[in-house]
Amino acid sequence: MMTGLRIDHIQRRERLQVSVNGRPITAFRGESVLAALVASGYLILRRSHKLKEGRGALCGVGVCYECLVSVNGLPNQRACMVEVEDGMEIEIDEA
Amino acid sequence: MKPRDYDVAIIGSGVAGIAAANKIADSHLRVLLLDENLHPGGQILRSLPGSMETRKAQRFDPLKKTGHALIDHLKGQRITLMNRAKVLGIYDGRELLVEEVEKRVFTVRPRAILFATGARERFLPFKGWTLPGVFSTGAVQILIKGSGVLPAREILIGGSGLFLFTVACELLENRGRVLAVLDQGSMVRKVPSLRLFLYHIPKFTEGARYLGRLMLSRVPLRHGTTILEARGERSLQEVVTARLNRDGHVLEGSERVYKTPALAIGYGFVPNIELPQLAGCALTYEGNLGGWIVKVTEALETTVENIFAAGEVTGIGGARKSLIEGYISAISIVQKLGKGVEKSCLSRLKEERRKHLCFGWYFNALCKLPNHVLASAPEETVVCRCEDVTLGDIKKAISEGHDTPGAIKKALRVGMGNCQGRTCAPVLYDILSVYTRRPARGIPPLSVRTPVKPVSISTLVDRVSPGCRLAEPS
Repeated sequence: MMTGLRIDHIQRRERLQVSVNGRPITAFRGESVLAALVASGYLILRRSHKLKEGRGALCGVGVCYECLVSVNGLPNQRACMVEVEDGMEIEIDEA
Repeated sequence: MKPRDYDVAIIGSGVAGIAAANKIADSHLRVLLLDENLHPGGQILRSLPGSMETRKAQRFDPLKKTGHALIDHLKGQRITLMNRAKVLGIYDGRELLVEEVEKRVFTVRPRAILFATGARERFLPFKGWTLPGVFSTGAVQILIKGSGVLPAREILIGGSGLFLFTVACELLENRGRVLAVLDQGSMVRKVPSLRLFLYHIPKFTEGARYLGRLMLSRVPLRHGTTILEARGERSLQEVVTARLNRDGHVLEGSERVYKTPALAIGYGFVPNIELPQLAGCALTYEGNLGGWIVKVTEALETTVENIFAAGEVTGIGGARKSLIEGYISAISIVQKLGKGVEKSCLSRLKEERRKHLCFGWYFNALCKLPNHVLASAPEETVVCRCEDVTLGDIKKAISEGHDTPGAIKKALRVGMGNCQGRTCAPVLYDILSVYTRRPARGIPPLSVRTPVKPVSISTLVDRVSPGCRLAEPS
């Protein structure tokens, strides 16, 4: 039985060290930052400009800019358009 | 290699782009293939790098097999593939401003341009669609195909059109649980005409396989059902749905609540017309091909000489149409640039293209939204997600006389945010059509300016005066 959100019959590449707001999460090479976040239960990634509502990914393919996160200190990166790398530090707005 | 030495620049490395690039390079022309994504192949050929499963699945899909062979062929020396490259703008209809990998900006002036910019998903906003946990159907598919991750173990699917079934099956095949598939349209309209069926037996066989799979897994299929509201404290917890009568009005008392951590929504597709628009290419409105599309000749040349368009941007019709158009446009471009090309297959390709346009008309008609649903949405429904502009704000602006997309953009900042209207503009056109009682073709699309995608000021400053960096804010 599948326990997490990673599909179990897919053979993964190597496991990487990735952190979200300083906390380590599981990630594998080839996954998008968005997928790694979703698989670890992070759905709320940023807050909207005016209403300050929590927002997460909508389109998943770089169109909607709803999944903006900070990657290795570089702000406003689309989580769906970046692949995870070893040692990557991801910052999201959880509040 | 000087970037300005290219004969042809192709924007978009989806099926149309890679087909055209290969064919053009065969005629000894130098091709620059630009794409914002990490890998060529577009969304249809997305696969988890290193995964055996995806390769295995592709063996049974001739289109994907062709597509992957085309990707492998790209490594020819006359094709320069630049991934993670954004085309930010076009000057005097010819010179492309390109940002490569979030850093370097350069310009390129090719002899011919091919826009193979593809399509994006269309949405129908409802209250709460901004809650985290509400994904597009495409996002769900890409999470599965590209990263092998499900958005949640349980998911509800809603919207309109055939793509809902595709995504539902992909979830099931990967041991996701689909609570239900809700389609605003009717089942009856899905039955194709005999002629269309005979043209596209493989497509309808695939459709039947999806339907069979859903029925076998006892996933409830509810036609004529719409999403009224998504609710949740911080992220999605439940979804309220209702049945629609024949005129598209909500049936009182038919509301139903689904408890779910994830919802996938999709309402068809719209072409990515922004760059061709910026290059001065004329558009034309075809409601059953996705709305505003790039106007092309049979040779796929736009109204601007030496600028061509291929794939979804000339009308939503699926990956096979894109493949065919990639070849047709390549033949046209090579001929235009005065080189010899094998064109014996051209008449067959054009005939095939017409058949796929017929499928497009059928496919897109099934995604059509009943306007009443939009009209009855609550005022606080967010329409422009980047700038948090609500349906109520837009209705008020219309009542004050702002009756074009451009006027509403200036009044409310709709479409001025990060996505530059890519998500909300088609919705805005529908709202204007409903509340100003004009046909959709009477609503002019938003104008487009350079840069068409967000870019950091420091990147642009560096372009104007190299080495000059902006001071850090103190």
